[in-house]
Amino acid sequence: MNSRQLLIRDALVLFGLTGWALSLPYYGSEFAVSMALTCLMYVALSSSWGLFCGSTRYLSLATSAFFGIGAYTSALMLERIGWTESILLGAAIATAVAVAMGAAVLHLRGTYFAVLTFGMTELIRHAISYFEKSVTGTVGRVLAVVPERDTIYLTVLVLAAGTVALSIAVRRTRFGLALMGIGADEQRAQTLGVNTRRVKLAGFAMTAAVAGAMGAAVSVRWTYIDPHTVFNPFIGFQTVLIALIGGPVTLWGPLIAAVVFSLLAETLRLQAPQVYMMSLGMLLILSVLYLPGGLASLRWVTLRQWRDDTRAWWRERRYEWSGEKEREKRRARERRLV
Amino acid sequence: MSDARSEVLLEARDVTVRFGGLVAVNAVSTRFHAGELVGIIGPNGAGKTTFFNAISGVVEPTAGRLVARGRDLTGQGPHRYAAHGLARTFQTPRVFADMPVLANIEFGLKFAGRRRRRYWLWGDEQGVPWALRDAPGILRLIGLGEQAELPAGAVTPAQQRLLEIGMALATRPRVLLLDEVAAGLTEAELEEMAWLIRRLRDELDLAVVWIEHAVTTLLRHVERVIVMHQGRVIADGAPSEVVRNAEVIEAYLGDEMLDEDEGARRGSVAGAPGGPPAGEPARGEPRP
Amino acid sequence: MSATAWLELIASGLITGGIYALVALGLNLQYGLMRILNIAHGEFLMLGAYLTWMAQASFGISPLWMVPVSFVLLMLLGVAIHWLFFRRLAATSPNLDIFEARGLMVAFGLMFLVQNLVSYVWGGDLRGYDFLTEPLAVGGAQFAANKLLVLALALAFSGALIVLFRMTLLGKGVRALMQSPVGAQLVGIDTKRLHPAMFGIGLGLSGVAGCLLSMAYTISPAMGEPYTVTALIVITLGGFGSMSGALAGGLLLGVVEAIGMHFTNPSLKALLSYVVFIGVLLLRPKGLFSK
Repeated sequence: MNSRQLLIRDALVLFGLTGWALSLPYYGSEFAVSMALTCLMYVALSSSWGLFCGSTRYLSLATSAFFGIGAYTSALMLERIGWTESILLGAAIATAVAVAMGAAVLHLRGTYFAVLTFGMTELIRHAISYFEKSVTGTVGRVLAVVPERDTIYLTVLVLAAGTVALSIAVRRTRFGLALMGIGADEQRAQTLGVNTRRVKLAGFAMTAAVAGAMGAAVSVRWTYIDPHTVFNPFIGFQTVLIALIGGPVTLWGPLIAAVVFSLLAETLRLQAPQVYMMSLGMLLILSVLYLPGGLASLRWVTLRQWRDDTRAWWRERRYEWSGEKEREKRRARERRLV
Repeated sequence: MSDARSEVLLEARDVTVRFGGLVAVNAVSTRFHAGELVGIIGPNGAGKTTFFNAISGVVEPTAGRLVARGRDLTGQGPHRYAAHGLARTFQTPRVFADMPVLANIEFGLKFAGRRRRRYWLWGDEQGVPWALRDAPGILRLIGLGEQAELPAGAVTPAQQRLLEIGMALATRPRVLLLDEVAAGLTEAELEEMAWLIRRLRDELDLAVVWIEHAVTTLLRHVERVIVMHQGRVIADGAPSEVVRNAEVIEAYLGDEMLDEDEGARRGSVAGAPGGPPAGEPARGEPRP
Repeated sequence: MSATAWLELIASGLITGGIYALVALGLNLQYGLMRILNIAHGEFLMLGAYLTWMAQASFGISPLWMVPVSFVLLMLLGVAIHWLFFRRLAATSPNLDIFEARGLMVAFGLMFLVQNLVSYVWGGDLRGYDFLTEPLAVGGAQFAANKLLVLALALAFSGALIVLFRMTLLGKGVRALMQSPVGAQLVGIDTKRLHPAMFGIGLGLSGVAGCLLSMAYTISPAMGEPYTVTALIVITLGGFGSMSGALAGGLLLGVVEAIGMHFTNPSLKALLSYVVFIGVLLLRPKGLFSK
């Protein structure tokens, strides 16, 4: 399939999924809609994360920070300005913070960058916590004006579909190529003319905008927010987990993984939340070790390779345990001494 | 030919690069003109690659200035240098291994190699040499036409070196910096590489600066050679003069330079209108 | 403030600092030697704490016995983890940056795994037990005996480790490896055996820290994370790969935190630590004590 056919295929799939998701509130139960909402949220977060962090291999752990900023924006501004405006404002403020953060840390190598974004997220969380407690005297915020469930759902759906569409589009542009070049060999890309600093800032800001908008949209459902919940680092962790397990560089990987995990989460989380988290952790480890490209890179070839590898390993073990290996070694030694 | 009237494409003024206490490049001043083929030689650790890093923007000089065609580029990032026509290759080939060979070339074309088109988004790009007009053309120029669809990680190291040159050419440079592109090649491959470089210089009116350890071959093909030692330039001139320079002989411990002396006296001094060695296709004909 | 008040303040800072130092030493060993940024380090501290608590609550074993036992248990666990997960990673990663990134992600997964395993098995409530809670008077100030013991043992362990690294051949080998992996291998140091062992020792230190903590403080499944962060801050301050830097940095941070908390708002503690962390990473990424 050539590039144009792929584009059409991707666009069609996106269209179909969006249409189906659009119809869900009409026939689905409250539970299904709620689950779909969470799923869509993670689709958007992990797709945008994967687009930037997957390509450039700069692992950002700052998603929770931007999410929380968006949440606080809508909590504070929703009564004064409209719904769409709050969302956009949340995205804008998150983007501004990302640009500031990025300017400071994006020149650092991968692991440093990851740790620093995590540190900055926690910093923002504690700063707002402290600020709320000392200056404004509140612990959390209550959202009095809350739009209808369907409005929220629609907004989240639009954001999710928009992020996936953006993902499809960016991969075909120079910007997407620049991102891949940075991930492959940043210095080489620079000597070929890529202004890496600007590209990285733009990519990072993009993840922030999506996370900020999402935070603004989703948090209203909870009607009460405090720094601990909206800046919960777990939001960032789960985004990263989903993107990594799904296949960080791919288009559909994060989406597939988001769906799988939403299902897992809703079924497991209520009965045994720890089992859910444990399986997340285990899946992440397994995928990093055996499937670094994520679920999306799973092919029949890979499965066959695993089967062959396991067979070879088993053969090797039998060879060892039967004592044959020892005898071979001894014989080889004797031959060498002679 | 290093004609004094031809355009100065790059000028280094007192460029110094210091890493902590170590001075890797020590107050180097030089100029590169259009159409020049300059070689840089020197023992290991002489600062040649660091000098390249400085003049391509990868490393910021601790002191000194770098001027490309009148623009002072000191302290700016590598992408600005690339935009002003300075392209380089790396000592160990750094290609994008997962992308096909053709895509590797296209990368440079899309960034530093981009030129304004005649009708904004249509038409031919302006000011681009015919040979570099598109990726397949560049591949043919360097001789990798067959390998276009292969992933860059799958071709041989020699081919990867050619690909490196191709990627550099894709940025439509005026100055081509080649860092030991001939390392690990056989005698025959070395000659081919040297003739390719000369052809590139002729057809594209570039200034080519070539660091090389295969001194014999280098001296046969360049018109001007710079010798570096411990960060300084200790000689800069025609190969025939440089090989007789006492300091150069001392720096190289004599042996290699004496061989060069022999080669120089036997008459295949670069600059003399020697034709391609027997068996090499004449220019313009497709490679076998 | 009176002299005794200062003494108490600094001592309490040293006590927490001693724990920080132990955890930081372990993390340092893993990162400096193997470039594995074990973000799950705090979880193993928590595991050590829980094992000690369980030993005390279910079997009546004194925590003092658990100090060496938790070290050994967690060291074995560390060797197993390295053999199971990180060995394959080292074999299949094309370069160091990718290995570091993947190692970080595996550690991530471990964090989820261990924290929730403990939460599942023992429940999420706070646990604790009483051990040597009688106060002791030293130099006019009052200290809880268990906290003093914690400090003493933490310093003893850290000191022993550092001495071991300076004096023994093995220790010198490790330090050589930290500075130049290839060079050390050429000289014949066997990394295949060394890496799992050192990883194990790193985790063992964490476990001991947890065991000590459980003597004086309450424990919960979520207690580990702040210690991971603090350990990161400490090794950043002290310089990645420097053992004595980790020790000094840990103690220093403990004291600074105690003083800071006393004179300003206690809820600023976390905020200040992160500011310090980010500041150091940005301005002096090679550590405060580097040239």
